[in-house]
Amino acid sequence: MNELMPEQFMFLSAALFIIGMVGVLTRRNVLVIFMCVELMLASVNIAFVGFAWEFSQMTGQIFALFVIAIAAAEAVIGLGIIMALTRQRDTVDINEVRELRQ
Amino acid sequence: MDANLLSSYIFAVIVLNVLLGLMAYMTYIERKVMAAMQDRIGPNRTGPVGLLQPIADGLKLLVKEDIIPKHADRRIFLLAPLLSFVLAPVAAAVIPFGDSITVFGHEVNLYVADINVAVLYFLAIGSMGVFGIILGGYASANRYSLLGGLRAAAQVISYEIILGLSLIGVIILSGSLSLVEIVNQQSETLTIGPLQLPNWFILSQPLAFIIFLIAAVAETNRAPFDLPEAETELIGGFHTEYSGFRFSFFFLAEYISMIVISLFAATIFLGGTDGPIQDGVWWLALKACIFLFFYIWLRTTVPRFRYDQLMGLAWKVLLPLVLINILLTGFIRLWGLGML
Amino acid sequence: MAAEVLIFNLLSAVAIVSAVAMITMRNPVHSAIALVLTFVNVAAIFIMLRAEFLAAVQIIVYTGAVLVLILFVLMLVNPDDLPEFHSGKPMQNVFGFGVGLILLAEISVAILTRTVVAEPGPWNEEGVAAAGGNIQVIGQLLYSGYVLPIQATALVLLAATIGALFLGRPDEDQEPSPKRRTVATISLAHTRGADDDLIPALRAANIKREAGDRDLIMARDADEFTTSAEEEEKKGQSE
Repeated sequence: MNELMPEQFMFLSAALFIIGMVGVLTRRNVLVIFMCVELMLASVNIAFVGFAWEFSQMTGQIFALFVIAIAAAEAVIGLGIIMALTRQRDTVDINEVRELRQ
Repeated sequence: MDANLLSSYIFAVIVLNVLLGLMAYMTYIERKVMAAMQDRIGPNRTGPVGLLQPIADGLKLLVKEDIIPKHADRRIFLLAPLLSFVLAPVAAAVIPFGDSITVFGHEVNLYVADINVAVLYFLAIGSMGVFGIILGGYASANRYSLLGGLRAAAQVISYEIILGLSLIGVIILSGSLSLVEIVNQQSETLTIGPLQLPNWFILSQPLAFIIFLIAAVAETNRAPFDLPEAETELIGGFHTEYSGFRFSFFFLAEYISMIVISLFAATIFLGGTDGPIQDGVWWLALKACIFLFFYIWLRTTVPRFRYDQLMGLAWKVLLPLVLINILLTGFIRLWGLGML
Repeated sequence: MAAEVLIFNLLSAVAIVSAVAMITMRNPVHSAIALVLTFVNVAAIFIMLRAEFLAAVQIIVYTGAVLVLILFVLMLVNPDDLPEFHSGKPMQNVFGFGVGLILLAEISVAILTRTVVAEPGPWNEEGVAAAGGNIQVIGQLLYSGYVLPIQATALVLLAATIGALFLGRPDEDQEPSPKRRTVATISLAHTRGADDDLIPALRAANIKREAGDRDLIMARDADEFTTSAEEEEKKGQSE
């Protein structure tokens, strides 16, 4: 294996995405879940940039740029919600936030 | 190994060692200048006119006991000063210290790397540097340290934005993010009527220069913006619990980032190695020294800001100013290109 | 180019190991540090894939801003209140890992059996170098064909800023009862806000603190917990 294969970055992207997803499903701390979501967004960026590299295109990089911008907006809102949550409910445990269920 | 790569490595080692040596004597010069400004004598006992004082200080810090608080988060406590110390000199890699010279028949470039995202690289490394402070403050298991870390996080994020935006004007004018290219453009001559001026960006971007200067002081956590370590209220802030050589790592990192950001400012706004006679690295050194003197001057003159004043300055004064500067520069650039 | 493959594999391995560390660490601050390591490795991989601009943006936005903010919020939360990883919900963990494995199998099949349909574009190494570099190409494309998406992104960022201001504003009308108050915010401007002797709400709630606890006592706004000890005494006497 002397050349960088497209499969390599695709597997890397998939692995990071799945790790992030497992984290979202198993952890209970809102902040860790939030970090896992950030990891999933970053893993998608690897796939975008990788395909751009494979096909000598720039579209993938531009999409990754938009994803980063949206991720920043999402981070701001998410952390704002977490701050409001800790102030109102005094918890960051996702299992204790069940207002909509009851 | 590639000869170019090898010469880059060697040059990086030289730059690193020069930075470390300069940093030691920076503390000496700071104490001397502050003493002169405050009508004192300053260090004068160790060696001739106190010249060996930095070495004595370093030795003293190295042989001190290394204390780790009982309730500290041990791994992070050990990691944080290293993080700070390693990231501080890394940003110097993109600063051009001159054109290429010939050594033993090889052409050696006087910069470690000329990358086309040099300005962004500098900002990226600068934004990573704050992790050492935040984690150090968190791991110490001390409320004052934690407050110092929190203040550092808020302060650096705010002033990072100002720092980045103040460089946009220069980037619009130069059309490049490579520092080598920016320096080359500044070595041209600007002719305004009878005046022959160097094309330094301080002349075309004076507002951006002033804002950059303020943001750089805040970014390096120096007085009057040294809120994270404000000794009168936080007794040392994030490094209260650190002792011996771990403390000296934080100390070194602060001075190195001061020197590096001075070199960066001299490169971006004052033409780097460009000078009236015989261009060379000495001009860069002279310009950086002016900035460093300015740092010390500020520390002796201006009292520390209050926290709300600090944040208010960033978001209510500097941010609108820097946005106006970008807008004006953009219009002038388009007008100059005849596209308006 | 065996060295390139080796470096890529090394970076990927570190990224994956630290990502796994992130979801298994009990202390969320350790998780955040592991995530920093993952993001730095991802940025290095971006450089290998000829995306220097994105690598710089990745470091500045993700590690420089988002993770610093996450650490900021983490430090405002009492570490004793953080839920543990394996905490009485084994079904949740088994389900999570099961779904992850199934998804991994599906994606592996998709990757290994894929057929390339796209034509190679003009932006190979020579094309990018001829246009002046990665940033120049991205700039030209971004401000010619993607003007509308840029405006939309700007609007999204503006909306996010306004939303964050709305969420972060101090709420005047409703105070949570002091009994529930074990996690709160800290006043940055007033260090005396960290002194629990001065906090009537805590005293009323009769929350005892063990020696060596690392919890934080927080002020809702700057003036709340800055009453001096004398004023407190006076109040006590009048009562």
